[in-house]
Amino acid sequence: MTQEVGTLPLELGLEEKIQNRLHSAAGPWAKPNPLYLGITLVVALILPWLISQMNGGRFFLHLIILFFGWGMLVQCWNLIMGVSGIYSFGQVALFAVGGWTTAVLATHYGWNPWVSIWLAPITTVIASLIIGLPTLRLRGIYVVLLTLAFHELLRNFTTTGPKIISGGGYGLKTVPKLGFETWFGGGYDKILYYYVGLVFFVITTYAIWRVLHSPIGMAFRALRDSETYAISRGVDPFRFKLFLFGFSAFFTGLAGGFLTHYQGAISPSLFNFGILINLLAMIVLGGWGAFWGPIVGTGILTILPEVLRAAENYRNLSLGIALALIAVLAPQGLGPLISDWVKKAFRFFRKSQQQEAP
Amino acid sequence: MEKLAEAIYGGLLSGSVLGLMALGLTLIWGSLRMLNLAHGSLYLVGGYVAWTLINWYDLPIWPAFVVGVVAAALVGLVLQITLINPILGKPGWDNASLIATVGASIALESIVLLIFGARVKQMPVALEGQFTLGTISKANQGLLIIVAALLSLFLLSAFLRRSRHGMAIRAVSQQTDAALLMGIPTRQIFLIVMVVSAALAGLAGVLLSSIFYLTPTAGFNPMIKALVVTIFGGLGSIKGTIWAAYIIGLLEAFLIVYMGSSWALPGLFLFMIVMLVIRPNGLFGLGEMQRL
Amino acid sequence: MLKVTDLHAGYGDSEVLHSLSLHVDEGEAVIVLGPNGHGKTTLLRAISGLLRPTAGNVELNGTSLSHLRAEEIVAAGVIHIPQGDLVFPEMTVMENLLMGAYRIEAWRERKQKFEQVFHLFPILAERKNQLARSLSGGERRMLALGRGLMGKAQILMIDEPSLGLAPLIIEQLYETIKEINQSGLSILLVDENADHITVADRVYLLESGVLVREGSAEEMLRDEALLATYLG
Repeated sequence: MTQEVGTLPLELGLEEKIQNRLHSAAGPWAKPNPLYLGITLVVALILPWLISQMNGGRFFLHLIILFFGWGMLVQCWNLIMGVSGIYSFGQVALFAVGGWTTAVLATHYGWNPWVSIWLAPITTVIASLIIGLPTLRLRGIYVVLLTLAFHELLRNFTTTGPKIISGGGYGLKTVPKLGFETWFGGGYDKILYYYVGLVFFVITTYAIWRVLHSPIGMAFRALRDSETYAISRGVDPFRFKLFLFGFSAFFTGLAGGFLTHYQGAISPSLFNFGILINLLAMIVLGGWGAFWGPIVGTGILTILPEVLRAAENYRNLSLGIALALIAVLAPQGLGPLISDWVKKAFRFFRKSQQQEAP
Repeated sequence: MEKLAEAIYGGLLSGSVLGLMALGLTLIWGSLRMLNLAHGSLYLVGGYVAWTLINWYDLPIWPAFVVGVVAAALVGLVLQITLINPILGKPGWDNASLIATVGASIALESIVLLIFGARVKQMPVALEGQFTLGTISKANQGLLIIVAALLSLFLLSAFLRRSRHGMAIRAVSQQTDAALLMGIPTRQIFLIVMVVSAALAGLAGVLLSSIFYLTPTAGFNPMIKALVVTIFGGLGSIKGTIWAAYIIGLLEAFLIVYMGSSWALPGLFLFMIVMLVIRPNGLFGLGEMQRL
Repeated sequence: MLKVTDLHAGYGDSEVLHSLSLHVDEGEAVIVLGPNGHGKTTLLRAISGLLRPTAGNVELNGTSLSHLRAEEIVAAGVIHIPQGDLVFPEMTVMENLLMGAYRIEAWRERKQKFEQVFHLFPILAERKNQLARSLSGGERRMLALGRGLMGKAQILMIDEPSLGLAPLIIEQLYETIKEINQSGLSILLVDENADHITVADRVYLLESGVLVREGSAEEMLRDEALLATYLG
């Protein structure tokens, strides 16, 4: 199995390896070209208007909004698992904490959702520290168990706990939404949710991008590749892990609040393992640990099931087969594959531009 | 006194089931370093094939069960050859194998759904009747499950301890490079491991569906619980897994009998949290596992 | 009997061995000397199949090994005793030895092989039901060697037999290796220092993945510059 790489000669030093990973994780843009960034931004701003003109546009917008919310969570989860190598399965639980916080405040205590949504990240961060602390001493796989335990405990609590939280086991179904339904005479709600989601998504993506390219990001990678080496270079694993948990929990909780208010409901079905596995697949499919990976993966797994909806009964079957095929044909995830293509496309572009110049 | 008997019986039953499922997972992890998330769907294959033979083709129960197990083993074989072998050991293996098995499980479950529909199916028991423990009577099927599980565990252990191939499986799990140098054909070994593991899952499916009914999603929960048992017992350790299966089974049963079923799962997980805080190296102190 | 021609091998983009050619005749003991990191282990791995060479040919008695899988190379009779022993930690000494005889031809002869191995390494007989991980460094080395002898070897390739061992044990070990060679088994040793080159008939010098010199053990012993670089 590990035939070729049993003992890599240490000439390829650890620092070099980390540097390489840093650059590959940045995808084709190590330093984003402001022009391309600007174009993407403009497209993103115009997009909802274009889509809403299409048949089924509302549904498509709905998918994109979901993509924003889940994309935030998946990126945060990737930061913990893919980049830092901590096998935490508590991300959904944290998402739930955020969602429930704002849901309870808005539903039962009459808070304005625009205000309560900002409490979600705060409680989520606190929760993440509670979950995170015991995992600090655990190695590898046992973190899975511990975080799964919290996941299950929280599921139990939200199903059988006090009525304001559990709604009798069915969750909260009457969570106030952000009020877009009446703006501009109605009908523009999806577009407005799109913008809110876009803002949150962009902030999250940017924050993660900054962290990945900072010394903190390198420290995370060092922790994953070799904890002993990292410690010998002065990285204090405890503080970094706690920061990691808190940082990713913040945006996870925000995502939870956002999606809860968008859908106007939250229920314990959130804890179903099917969802957990789906989210895991999003990270892995796009390319574990890479920057663009989770975004690509979330996109695919949000869109693909719907694209396959045409196949109706055969939808899940096709999905399963598609996943298996992708795994076999692109073992390193689709992210690296796609970023390869994009790089090639840019090179081609640049070459043809050079050819045009006299 | 009754409660105690209930709890012990329930624990043994639960532990046996967990053991059957978890053993397969641990074998695969130990040798292939792969998390086989299609394990639950192999459970389904066993159950549904047996059910089909009994209900649509009027086959008697025992042969149908055997065919069910064989069918699961065959599906495992196919999965190994088509999905696993192409990416074995290549870069990205860890995650690609995960996705591949997830994809396979989704596909298999949807095939079952398409053919059989979502309605719950009842599997007839292999052993009719009941037996009495003092004042409680329990289905004989339960006894059958316990015996079948213990027998399988025993046979598997003997196979791994004594036979040339069994030892080779252990060797490959412990030191793959050295195993290659002994001339052990690792690909064949992996195939054997997968087939055995699939057969175990199929056996669990065949036996359990008479107690727990058969639905397209029936394999999922046993698999997740088995995963927990596997990790708890020390991934890759047969002995640890068996112990963990019965400990967790008994714990769950005692929680259900003495505190009510709503406490079962949370109690279990609380126990685990406490355990992991006190003993960060897992139940048997097997120390750090290399990777997921 | 073992002929390596124009071998190139490496890891990823970096080539470690460049156009390497050597041979081991029947019954010979050959040593490849080289500093650490210059490709000694890579050489053995390229021959035994743990590493696929990028170019060149490896032949055993005329049959090409280059495109065979590791297990087939073992079946052909090339036994590689790896650096670090790589014993099966949770298996007993007996079980480790049994695994050495995994291939069916060797398996059938395992009883005789046991006798041979226990004769050479009596301490293994003493510890035969002990788990391999509880053995001392020297005992583990002997186990690795004994395990290699359980197969039907035509040639034994040993990677740094003296690594990490106490001087007294090293002496005994090389004497045993000499004994094994004298019973007719060809041996290819790689080593970092020249302390024990008298166990071999011929010596190659490996530097930066290239064989820079070849000669008989006696010639090398007389070479003062060589001794200065490679001794101790």
